[in-house]
Amino acid sequence: MSLCAWSNAIVKLMNNATIDPTPTDWNGAVMQKRIAKRYAAERRFKAMGFIAVALSTLFLAFLLFTMLGQGLRGFQRTEVAVEFDFPALTSGATAASITGPNADTTLNSMDIPGIVELAVSQQYGDQGSELLTSAAAANVRQMLADNPQLVTAKQTLWLPAESRLDVAYKRKGEPASEKTVAALEQKDALRSGFNWTFLTGADATDPSAVGIWAAFKGSLMTMAITLLLAFPVGVFAALYLEEYAPKNKLTDMIEVSINNLAAVPSIIFGLLGLAVFLTMFGMPRSSALVGGLTLALMTMPVIVIAGRNAVKSVPPSIREAALGIGASPVQVVFHHVLPLALPGILTGTIIGMARALGETAPLLMIGMRAFIPSPPQGFTDAATALPVQIYLWSDEVNQGFVEKTSAAIIVLLIFLLGMNALAIYLRNRFETRW
Amino acid sequence: MTGTALLFLVLGLGLVAWIVGRARAATFVRAAKGGPRGQVNSLPSYHGWFVAVCAVVPAVLFMFIWQSISPALVTNMVLSAPAASDLPQDGFSRAAILSEARAIAQGLQTTAFQAQSEKLAPLYKDALSYYSWIGMAGTLVLLFAGGAFAFTRLKPDFRARNKVERLVMVGLLFASLIAIITTLGIFASLIFESYQFFSMVSPFEFLFGTDWNPKSVVTAGADNGYGAIPLFWGTIFIGAIIAMLVAIPLGLMSAIFLTQYASSNVRKWMKPILEILAGVPTVVYGYFAALTVAPTVRDFAVMLGVSNAASDNALAAGIVMGVMIIPLVSSMSDDSIAAVPNAMRDGSLAMGATKSETIKQVLLPAALPGVVGGVLLAVSRAIGETMIVVMAAGYTANLTANPFDTITTVTVQIVALLTGDQDFGSPHTLAAFALGLALFVTTFFLNYVALRVVKRYREAYE
Amino acid sequence: MAETTANPKISTRNVNVYYGEKKAIDNVSIDVDMDNVTAFIGPSGCGKSTFLRSLNRMNDTIVGARVEGNILLDGQDIYASSMDVVQLRARVGMVFQKPNPFPKSIYDNVAYGPRIHGLAAGKAELDQIVESALTRAGLWGEVKDRLGDSGTALSGGQQQRLCIARAIAVDPEVILMDEPCSALDPIATARIEELIHDLRGKYAIIIVTHNMQQAARVSQRTAFFHLGNLIEFGETSEIFTNPREDRTKDYITGRYG
Repeated sequence: MSLCAWSNAIVKLMNNATIDPTPTDWNGAVMQKRIAKRYAAERRFKAMGFIAVALSTLFLAFLLFTMLGQGLRGFQRTEVAVEFDFPALTSGATAASITGPNADTTLNSMDIPGIVELAVSQQYGDQGSELLTSAAAANVRQMLADNPQLVTAKQTLWLPAESRLDVAYKRKGEPASEKTVAALEQKDALRSGFNWTFLTGADATDPSAVGIWAAFKGSLMTMAITLLLAFPVGVFAALYLEEYAPKNKLTDMIEVSINNLAAVPSIIFGLLGLAVFLTMFGMPRSSALVGGLTLALMTMPVIVIAGRNAVKSVPPSIREAALGIGASPVQVVFHHVLPLALPGILTGTIIGMARALGETAPLLMIGMRAFIPSPPQGFTDAATALPVQIYLWSDEVNQGFVEKTSAAIIVLLIFLLGMNALAIYLRNRFETRW
Repeated sequence: MTGTALLFLVLGLGLVAWIVGRARAATFVRAAKGGPRGQVNSLPSYHGWFVAVCAVVPAVLFMFIWQSISPALVTNMVLSAPAASDLPQDGFSRAAILSEARAIAQGLQTTAFQAQSEKLAPLYKDALSYYSWIGMAGTLVLLFAGGAFAFTRLKPDFRARNKVERLVMVGLLFASLIAIITTLGIFASLIFESYQFFSMVSPFEFLFGTDWNPKSVVTAGADNGYGAIPLFWGTIFIGAIIAMLVAIPLGLMSAIFLTQYASSNVRKWMKPILEILAGVPTVVYGYFAALTVAPTVRDFAVMLGVSNAASDNALAAGIVMGVMIIPLVSSMSDDSIAAVPNAMRDGSLAMGATKSETIKQVLLPAALPGVVGGVLLAVSRAIGETMIVVMAAGYTANLTANPFDTITTVTVQIVALLTGDQDFGSPHTLAAFALGLALFVTTFFLNYVALRVVKRYREAYE
Repeated sequence: MAETTANPKISTRNVNVYYGEKKAIDNVSIDVDMDNVTAFIGPSGCGKSTFLRSLNRMNDTIVGARVEGNILLDGQDIYASSMDVVQLRARVGMVFQKPNPFPKSIYDNVAYGPRIHGLAAGKAELDQIVESALTRAGLWGEVKDRLGDSGTALSGGQQQRLCIARAIAVDPEVILMDEPCSALDPIATARIEELIHDLRGKYAIIIVTHNMQQAARVSQRTAFFHLGNLIEFGETSEIFTNPREDRTKDYITGRYG
């Protein structure tokens, strides 16, 4: 403490409460220095706030770029040129024989995997068939079914490469695969193509043959059940609690339950699904039905809470006006309050559904982690969901799965961000200020 | 006929009932116009709804009840047949044969792996069709009976609207009760399974034991490796310590920056970005943590000279979980700070306080209860979070405070215990429920306190 | 029609205040000195509070607010870049319409300003400042035994005097009071008015009020605002007994307001 401040202090001490103190010397060096210090603290504090926001943003950007960087490759596949001398290989199948109603039977009888293996080994030697993914034969079959004319002549078909080769072509792979890639590139026998299989296929053991459609369909079916159950129940509960519920113990219990359910860890819902739906009711394991039921219980409180806020924001004057012309309480709610609250309810529902779509843990509990090699056909079939598929692939050791995992994440994020954007749009578009 | 088709038939007949009821009421209206008795009490469509509801609701209820009890009746019928007498007594192979026979009978499977299932399949087929016919007949009888009963009640002065509205109210109340039923369902199933678990393993070992290495066959009185202390510690270490060390400063400072310093333009863009952070699914965070953050943290630890740094270290999982929680802390802090009356801020600024002095000495102390409530909610979110720790943290129970070491949590172990061949009733499965109970009670308590604190705080400034 | 004083503490020249596009104050020039209490009166929405808030730059906290013209404190332009807003507000204290004690103890409320500005060298001196400020605000006798209680636990009138004590504690030169009694009962109002009497001469005091009797009771000079314009400014006795402008007369006699 400097002399100046001390003398100031002593003067002040000598004054008693009723005598004026000396005026503060705002322009003195001590005070100026102190103020400069306070401003420095102010700038530091503001910078800390900025850094906090920047760090959060950077983390998000880093996450998205990592996923994009790895995932975009997942939408590509490496293709190997394979020459098929179809007339020789198929011992003279005609275009007519693989068109029309009998096409399937003929194609089945053609032993296409054998044909592919023969064609590759003729061109690339005995190890040739190891160049192609396990789904290559199915690809050839599809090509023939789409264009029967192919079978009448010698063709060069581009077939998806096997996973290690795929990795080596896109970036650094194992030395052996790198060597193969170099050899094939010299022959101009490698190229990149869009990986349609990834969008239309199902899980497989070979990363170059996997697709997300089965998991995505499972997600869609699960979401359909969730929406069908959670939306009406959530809206009805919200209407009851806001409009009709008397103030009593039961209502309090309902409120506590809903607030608590909204914050219960999702894995607990999985345990409930396992204990009640699977074990007690004996519903089919791994099915979209049970997944949807479980997620519906989790989503319902979110819809109730959003719905209550939306219903609450409808001004009482509208209710009074309707009651005043002789509408019954039920008519007031269903004719006036509900339509006005609907945009808010929908926003909450979309956000709740987005959360359910990204949810993984409860689905693991009820067995939706099974290996699903073909899309589920019904609500009781064994199914998996997109986030669970991501989790399963992330556990795979094979390098080829890294980009597939990221690519699946991109698809999932596109849907989630789309749903959230829709919710924000709805909120801004229909938000009415009364 | 499948259940779905029957349901559609019932709904279709319900539509018919609605049309019939409405048409009947329309004749009243026409009659009333000429007659002396004045108006019909309710609109025709309410009469229609009354008939339709009376027809459909009991029928559908019966359908669902029948769906849930008929499998047991079918099995009973098959078992009571003489052909079933030579089934093995052993429960497991017996169940396997029965389920295979059922699958064949339903056409889900074409060939049998067990000879006995082949033999039982026709029996199953008969039993299934027998009970499904009963179910269908019962449903339709109820539907027509309900519809007919309602139709006879229709009269010009019948108060159809009041009846329908009362039914609507019952429906609304029932929808609200589902929340209570779910909560009770969670509680009951957790308690029930945990009770079974604690009859095998002593609660004392579970709550105070430090050795987590669960054995699948337990012996009373011995150490069975069900000491959950390392799991509780791991959960607290990752969720309540590391994650909060990331989330509280970043979330709070973000909220302060966005509400107090940022221009409205910056705020308009930055708030949705923080919301996106909250919308990213946890499985994505988990993958990112395992793939990118964990190796970086390990390399960093090795650089620092920590030799035993694990690739599934606690720090990576905790950091990523903290980032996931940032939006929650930020929005709760935002709300709390916004709830402090502006007069408070003006009072401080008018004294010549700088913005940061005002925030640190007036706004934050005033908003503290709300912020604390938000942090409690965040802790509850973090300790219940599953996927990040499943993917990035370890599976080995480890009682350590070294953030570079591998540590497991309650949720990781629940997933681990329920993975693989599970026989419901094995100590492994039941232990998962005991862990679930511990998690549920803890989060319930945290949420309850947090909501109370926040509510009390809101009321203080209203 | 600038009313000038020989030795003004604050003088404003051709001040305009805008909220976004809207002009809230139009060309106001006024002088305020240490010896007199100045009252701003006028119907609600006339801009008197807006003008008051521009005297210690509290309008800076409102997005879109903009001040034109010169406002001088001891001859220094307070909107000049060399003027530090933190110092300015310490020199020009403010008391608000609704009492707004911080949710802290009574002691900490009063000590807040001296602490942030570093006016006390130690605990003893801070105690001294707090006691002196509370004494001047006429609150010391009522609270000296419970300085640790929360400031929000006091009654409305006591809270407002606490806010005055809080403003006094940083040793300001000017005190702005924005309708300080509008949330108080008549007895509490009387105490505050007495207090204003006592403080006169030690600080330049400006009080905004919509209560004409109050203006007549506490002030020596009065400015009448209407729709953002300064209509009349002069000795309080003059304004109330013999207004020069018809609009002033109409307002004072209760034609509108």
